[in-house]
Amino acid sequence: MNRVFVLIGLAFSNALRGIRSASTTSLMAVLTIAIVLVLVGGAALLVHNMSSILDEFGTELQLTAYLEEGLSEAEQRDLVERVAAAPGVERVELVTKEMALERFVEIAGSEALLAGLEENPLPASLEIQLRPEARTAEAIGILEASLDGLPGIDDFAQGREWIEGYARAVSMVRIGVVAIAIVLGMAALLIVANTIRLALYARQDELEILALVGASRTFVRVPFLLEGTLQGLLGGALALFVVWGAFEWLQPQLREGLELVVGRAELHFFTTAEALWLVVSGAALGLAGSIMALVGGRT
Amino acid sequence: MRRRAANATGEPPVRMYHVSKSYMAGQYALHDVSLEVRRGEFVFLTGASGAGKTTLLELIFAAEEPSEGQILVLGRNVARLGASAIPALRRHVGVVFQDFKLLEDRTVEENVRLALDVIGTPRRDARSRVFGLLKSVGLQHRRFHHPRSLSGGEQQRVALARALVNEPEILLADEPTGNLDPDLTIEIMDLIVKASTRGTTVMVATHDHSLIERYGKRVLRLDGGRIVEDVPAMGAALGGGP
Repeated sequence: MNRVFVLIGLAFSNALRGIRSASTTSLMAVLTIAIVLVLVGGAALLVHNMSSILDEFGTELQLTAYLEEGLSEAEQRDLVERVAAAPGVERVELVTKEMALERFVEIAGSEALLAGLEENPLPASLEIQLRPEARTAEAIGILEASLDGLPGIDDFAQGREWIEGYARAVSMVRIGVVAIAIVLGMAALLIVANTIRLALYARQDELEILALVGASRTFVRVPFLLEGTLQGLLGGALALFVVWGAFEWLQPQLREGLELVVGRAELHFFTTAEALWLVVSGAALGLAGSIMALVGGRT
Repeated sequence: MRRRAANATGEPPVRMYHVSKSYMAGQYALHDVSLEVRRGEFVFLTGASGAGKTTLLELIFAAEEPSEGQILVLGRNVARLGASAIPALRRHVGVVFQDFKLLEDRTVEENVRLALDVIGTPRRDARSRVFGLLKSVGLQHRRFHHPRSLSGGEQQRVALARALVNEPEILLADEPTGNLDPDLTIEIMDLIVKASTRGTTVMVATHDHSLIERYGKRVLRLDGGRIVEDVPAMGAALGGGP
């Protein structure tokens, strides 16, 4: 057992010696992994936040049905009851023409905009609150279709299309991030493999001497695997630090911009587990690169 | 003492039966060589450059595979050794080269310790054994120096210490004094001979006839890849041991 610990210790010290003796190429490998993971991690963080904004929309999602002009109070009340009975509907609130006007004036801050109009141009509407499970663009579409035939309903607010478009954009960006991660990951893999291969050639004399004194293949190979893994780990940690720095730096401006566009926005950094994943991805890239180098190398 | 299993039965540690090595069809580096080397025996391999001395040594420590014939080293058939079994064999065979083969970025102590590191010898044990070995070759005071700050003779003594630190059953030396002046040559050869008196089987390739005459050991003379002469040790000729 003691020998196993000695061999593990030696593997680590040989790996560190390898990194020190080829510090420039090691640094290049670390930076390559860091750059790749900054790009992939940054994009993942973007998708992560886009998705959470989408989720927030979902919780506030309601459907607005505009009513035809000239409906009597009884007809309006009848519509409220019929809509409330539709699947996925939690609550229905009638907003009369007068209430709509009051809201408009409240939002606009004055009645000046309506000064030239002889009558209230705002339609009465039904604000339909949805049950949590029905707060998706698809469910709203189904509900819309079922309510569309009801007499008295003129039109629906266009929120659904906007949300659908946004959800499509999120899913496209997500696919894009995965594609970029694969391409950049492959590039990083090749660069790490090349770095380790260069280290193998640079240390050919050492490998020859190790073989002469009876070093097993494992004894020779493990330090190289550790070297790649350590480089990856460093690259991952560096990437996490850069992504975090950029996030902290950009967050105030981004939040301000988002508040203008979507009303309010909470931006989130990675959770601890997600942040660890980024660092572990770096280590995995480094390890995979080393394996590639050793499979093709002469050890 | 460690690992003497193969020889406990009295089997010769090195046996070759009709061994040939060819790198190109029809051209032999070694041709139909058969020999036995007994435990603790000291053998000089001599012959002109290209006679096959280095090839013969390389076959014994499994750096090369024979094209024909059988080689038994410490009871193991070298021709049939898998890649994973070669390191285990080499831990019983110390090798010394003309060009020392030391790692420039490691100290004398670290260079000697390599042979112990590969088998996971705990650091404290390794250090004390390395110190003992370096003391026996007169270099204990240089253990923290790097090879480039040592003379050729000192570097070869370090290489010899590395080859012996694992207490090998066989020591192979390929022109170990080829780069050294006459005084240092004798110094190194005395150390190698001393190893053989402790029971290590030693094979030294050299074309320095003065050494062969000085030590009076068994001599295998090679020419064109064949053993053309096998001269027993002087003591043996007179009825003594190796």
